[in-house]
Amino acid sequence: MSVLIDQRTRFVIQGITGNVGRFSARDMKGYGTAVAGGVSVNKRDSDVEGVPVFPDARAACGATGADASVVYVPAATALDHVVEAFEAGIKLVVYPGDGLPLRDAIEMRAAANANGAILVGPNTPGLISPGKAKAGFMPSFCYTPGPLGVISRSGSLSYEACFRLTTAGLGQTTVIGIGGDPVKGVSPAEALALLHADPETRAIVYLGEIGGNDEYAVACYASTPGAKPVAALIVGRQAPKGKKMGHAAALIGSHADTHPAKMKALLRAGVHATGTVTELVAAVKAAILSIPEMVDKSFTLDVPFSPRERG
Amino acid sequence: MLLTEYEGKSLLRDAGVPVSDGFLVRTADAITRRKLTYPVAVKAQVASAGRGKAGGVVRAATPAKARSAARRILAMCFGAERPAAVLIEPWLVIKRELYLCVTVDPAAQGYVVLYAPRGGIDIERGKPPVRYDVGPARDFRAYRLREILRDIEPDASVREKVIALARRLVELASTRDCVTVEINPLAQLDDGSLIAADAKIVRDEYAAFRAPDIAASIASATRQQPRPIARALAGDLMLVWLDGEVGLISGGAGMTMATMDLIGDAGGRPACFLDCSNNPTPAGYRLAFDLLDQAPAVKVILVSIFGGLTQMDRVARVMKDIMQQRRARKPVVFRLNGTNAKQVADIFAGTGLSNHATLESAVAESVAITRKAGRR
Repeated sequence: MSVLIDQRTRFVIQGITGNVGRFSARDMKGYGTAVAGGVSVNKRDSDVEGVPVFPDARAACGATGADASVVYVPAATALDHVVEAFEAGIKLVVYPGDGLPLRDAIEMRAAANANGAILVGPNTPGLISPGKAKAGFMPSFCYTPGPLGVISRSGSLSYEACFRLTTAGLGQTTVIGIGGDPVKGVSPAEALALLHADPETRAIVYLGEIGGNDEYAVACYASTPGAKPVAALIVGRQAPKGKKMGHAAALIGSHADTHPAKMKALLRAGVHATGTVTELVAAVKAAILSIPEMVDKSFTLDVPFSPRERG
Repeated sequence: MLLTEYEGKSLLRDAGVPVSDGFLVRTADAITRRKLTYPVAVKAQVASAGRGKAGGVVRAATPAKARSAARRILAMCFGAERPAAVLIEPWLVIKRELYLCVTVDPAAQGYVVLYAPRGGIDIERGKPPVRYDVGPARDFRAYRLREILRDIEPDASVREKVIALARRLVELASTRDCVTVEINPLAQLDDGSLIAADAKIVRDEYAAFRAPDIAASIASATRQQPRPIARALAGDLMLVWLDGEVGLISGGAGMTMATMDLIGDAGGRPACFLDCSNNPTPAGYRLAFDLLDQAPAVKVILVSIFGGLTQMDRVARVMKDIMQQRRARKPVVFRLNGTNAKQVADIFAGTGLSNHATLESAVAESVAITRKAGRR
């Protein structure tokens, strides 16, 4: 199984006539994703990449029966389009854009809650259930089906990490880009709950960074009895204090935001955590080997992995 | 974007929060031209924390003392920051210092109210403030905050004033796109009234498109930045200078940080955090090279990009053009992967450029080059 999306999920793409919308429509369809319709408010084309284009989300849903949406519009109008999607009855909306004002992020999240729907984003490449469907613009060759559920705060880091996992033969059920902003749709705790409930997800990989407190939700999950094994990569050891490192939330403000504090909390909770991307595959293998029935399967540790805090 | 106290208090005043009437002076002599009731407070207008402890707030009982305090403060440095102005306000006789803050918090999925009955410069040493998770501003409920305050703020009159102020701060944060509105201290005077004796307001830079005052503050802050940072910001690049030798051009915050970490592990030091993902265009990359070529500390440039939406065949063509036109001789190491990365080798063929297969080997080569440069 996978979480949130699979080959049966029917998508609309809002903002399909823009450059990103067109690129993503072609890319998502090429991956086998059911892209049922597109929305463009100043509808100049009747179809894009063979996908019928509608003037609004309600019309697109009515005509296609779509139940999910990816929204490619600038931050200035993003809240309006995302709320439109929820009110058209769409239950999963992915908003990849960045630069979204916090007030709008708060309203987006509140609209998702009020409509009993799920928001992924902002500031994310989206999510992918390898071999089934993708909702976003991550490079498809980095992914392959398998037993790992992946949660990432950073798009680019998730490509690199999943490329390494895939190359090592460690496939994924679903890779969720939760995004690097402080107020977001699916949170780390919610992503963990989704992956925990998915029987095919055997272990969870978390890709995090300095700043904010998302990593503490991961530590909290890992220390719960019955939790699936968790491996984590936390980047930002070289980042100076008090400077914003690209992501709105990647700023070391208090001690809890620092790399050593996060590593300590994760290791204490039994997470196979590392501070370097080079050790990621070894950390993930160590997590998988902690599942009793996985030990005699094909996984072997070719690089010894000993979790430790790094300076 | 952190506002100065003076700017912050003007937002508070508009929101109906009591503040002192103060004025800014940029020179000590400007104080003489005003008619004032003494004593006054002379306060450095700086963004850095710990101003009070560093001697940036002075009580002055006479015009002469106010002038000399202003002269001294204007010449002081707070961290790396020199105050452009001092704020002159009536000196407050404070009965008790409280702490009140509204900020955006992930756990609240919106705004959170923080309150401590004992605030002031040692707030971090006391008990942590209590919190009320509001969520969106419209979900503020006075009775919920009252329940939370009941035990820690026994003075009912203060409590009700704090609740009324908290509501105004939440509304201010929401309507004026503030990430944080912190009042420390919130001063209780002898007559029982509460007044904001300081203001730390952070506005949301992402809201600049709809808030002309935020856009103006950003433009003014950009002008005050050192020239390379100002150029990077104007070109929609994210640049943070560090003190190493490996000039890193990258895309995406997470990968940039992962690469910086590897540079450190290999025994090198990153010269910067330079993220081009908001402007992955020929102009953006040209500007990135220009900035690093002109920085003497940078001994090697490492281009490390794992593109999703950024198509690597396009990036490779841009890199090829830049390398052919660029005059600087600094060595450049490439590691390009991601969407359409298979075409990179063909595009680089015959140009002398090569693309590393792994991040580790690209980092190793970059650091080795800085070592050689160091020995020369």
